[in-house]
Amino acid sequence: MTSKLPDISNSETILSMNAVETARAIREQKVTSEEVVRRIFENIDERESIIHAYVSFWKEEALEKARECDKKVREYLERIGGQTGETSDVGMPENTGLPPLLGVPVAVKDNLLFSGKRTACGSKMLENYVPPYTATCVEKLEEAGAIIIGKTNMDEFGMGVSTENSYFGATSHPLDPDCVPGGSSGGSAAAVAAGEALAALGTDTGGSIRQPAAFCGLVGLRPTYGSVSRHGLVAFSSSMDTAGPITRGSVDAAVLFNIVKGRDPKDQTSASSPDIDISAMESYSVRGKRIAIPKQLSGVSDDASADGKKGPLFSHDVLNAVQTARAILEENGAVVEEIDMPVLEYAVPIYYILSSAEASSNLSRYDGIRYGYRDPEAKDLSELYTRTRSSGFGLEVKRRILLGNYVLSSEHFEDIYRKAEKARNLVKTAFDDAFSKYDLLLSPASPMTAPKKGENTDPLAAYCSDLCTVPSSLAGIPSISFPFGKSSEGLPIGLQLMGRRSGEQEILGAARFFEKLGKIAEEAES
Amino acid sequence: MDHSTEKALERVARLSGLSLSEGEKEVLFSDLSHIIPYMEQITKLDTEDRTSGSSARPAEAGKTEDPEGGEMLLREDEEEDSGLSSAILSSAPEVSGNMFCVPKAVE
Repeated sequence: MTSKLPDISNSETILSMNAVETARAIREQKVTSEEVVRRIFENIDERESIIHAYVSFWKEEALEKARECDKKVREYLERIGGQTGETSDVGMPENTGLPPLLGVPVAVKDNLLFSGKRTACGSKMLENYVPPYTATCVEKLEEAGAIIIGKTNMDEFGMGVSTENSYFGATSHPLDPDCVPGGSSGGSAAAVAAGEALAALGTDTGGSIRQPAAFCGLVGLRPTYGSVSRHGLVAFSSSMDTAGPITRGSVDAAVLFNIVKGRDPKDQTSASSPDIDISAMESYSVRGKRIAIPKQLSGVSDDASADGKKGPLFSHDVLNAVQTARAILEENGAVVEEIDMPVLEYAVPIYYILSSAEASSNLSRYDGIRYGYRDPEAKDLSELYTRTRSSGFGLEVKRRILLGNYVLSSEHFEDIYRKAEKARNLVKTAFDDAFSKYDLLLSPASPMTAPKKGENTDPLAAYCSDLCTVPSSLAGIPSISFPFGKSSEGLPIGLQLMGRRSGEQEILGAARFFEKLGKIAEEAES
Repeated sequence: MDHSTEKALERVARLSGLSLSEGEKEVLFSDLSHIIPYMEQITKLDTEDRTSGSSARPAEAGKTEDPEGGEMLLREDEEEDSGLSSAILSSAPEVSGNMFCVPKAVE
């Protein structure tokens, strides 16, 4: 049965603005942060019983912070004796002395630590865990003036593609509650799409920002590995875990990325990266750009199926969207070519071998001793470990731990795990070769649009549906999913652009190019 | 699933600190009987000249002060007080003074 949701398009102007526009309106006193936060919580009150985007939120505290933000704006205006009025077209403050996201309500995925607020990672294992410190990326958002209003639902420890694998229950798709919002950052995507937050942070190991953003009609940026600190991000697969924004548009994504990125002494794999130039994004042109579409990520041939490779079935609507995007790029002066990257046929097994191996190691810390769940019936130490882990982890997590420890066992270490490490190296080389000839790579963000709840019963099929997103995870390169039309069922289609290492400027610029075309088309229709 | 793989998975479960119910075993072992052969396809890849460093960071760049695209930076191994010990202890299921408690480990 389809549950009835209030029409989001009927919301007030407040909710039609993106995060950056809202920040600007707050600075210019066209709206108060308190009004914005109140309106967001009205949406939460109306919709959460159906959508369940959040596992926790704190209204009164958020309103108190909003009032403090409004006070800061008033004090600033009094100090300078007039209007701010000096903000740029893209909403970034220019010498206003006020932080860029002052007063903007933002949601954070529940695997990013926020001091004093429960961080459960969708797991019974951490059901009552309250961290004593805050993740660096969340801290940076707060320093930028954002108001963190709640923690969003997710597949347990980030393992899943639908946000159905959460100990706290499934999240629903805001446009069709019978569908999944994608995963594992499904709560973050659903919150932004439902007007229950103006932007959100998600995390992406093999596609967990990009796929839910695609399903929910949003922009999802998986930054270059290491450009955003992992300090305070609960580890799943440390060589691929990455935090990044899920937003209503590419400018929001760029602004949030500029805020959260940077070298952090608390994460030895972190590095600084260039600031995104928002005005360069606005003037980005595809003319003369060379763009490749990897064959392996845009359809599975009959030959491949016959060869025993289990590939996801690409929906016609998604494949048509890629061809439409290609035509638009060519009309605007880009050169678009299909390229063959045969190693990507193996990207899903390489990814699942390595990520499960890392997960089995990372999750060995949950032993019921220092924090998290402890089984109350355990009589000795050995029982404490097994009883705690057996009742604390859900089925998908157990499946990954088994797979991970299987490939790490002495019998299979060389022929499977080591082989996958070497194969990852082949994937990186394949991308290096591609980027020696092309500026960007284009593919679907997911082979399909949001499926119905309960359809993900075959775990191998779910793993295979990650085909489009895991290659850039393995290579550590940035990629972005952005909305590109809708399917015949009216569900959003997401496309993906992949760029060179630290090439966020290029992929954000190209995403902005498509976004502006879409807006122009919408205006022409109205 | 062949008998030896099933035995191997039972051993892996034990070593992973997981005690699986019969129902869980049935589901998980059945799933893994499809998943493992699928993962094993990678044995067909030619990786002869490849190294096995598993990192998303490129290996070619040298150490720099700011390792954009470079190797992992090392820092001095200096003792620091996080000031969080009481908060950390308060997260534990059972503590005594400034120690974590566990059930009896030896008879």
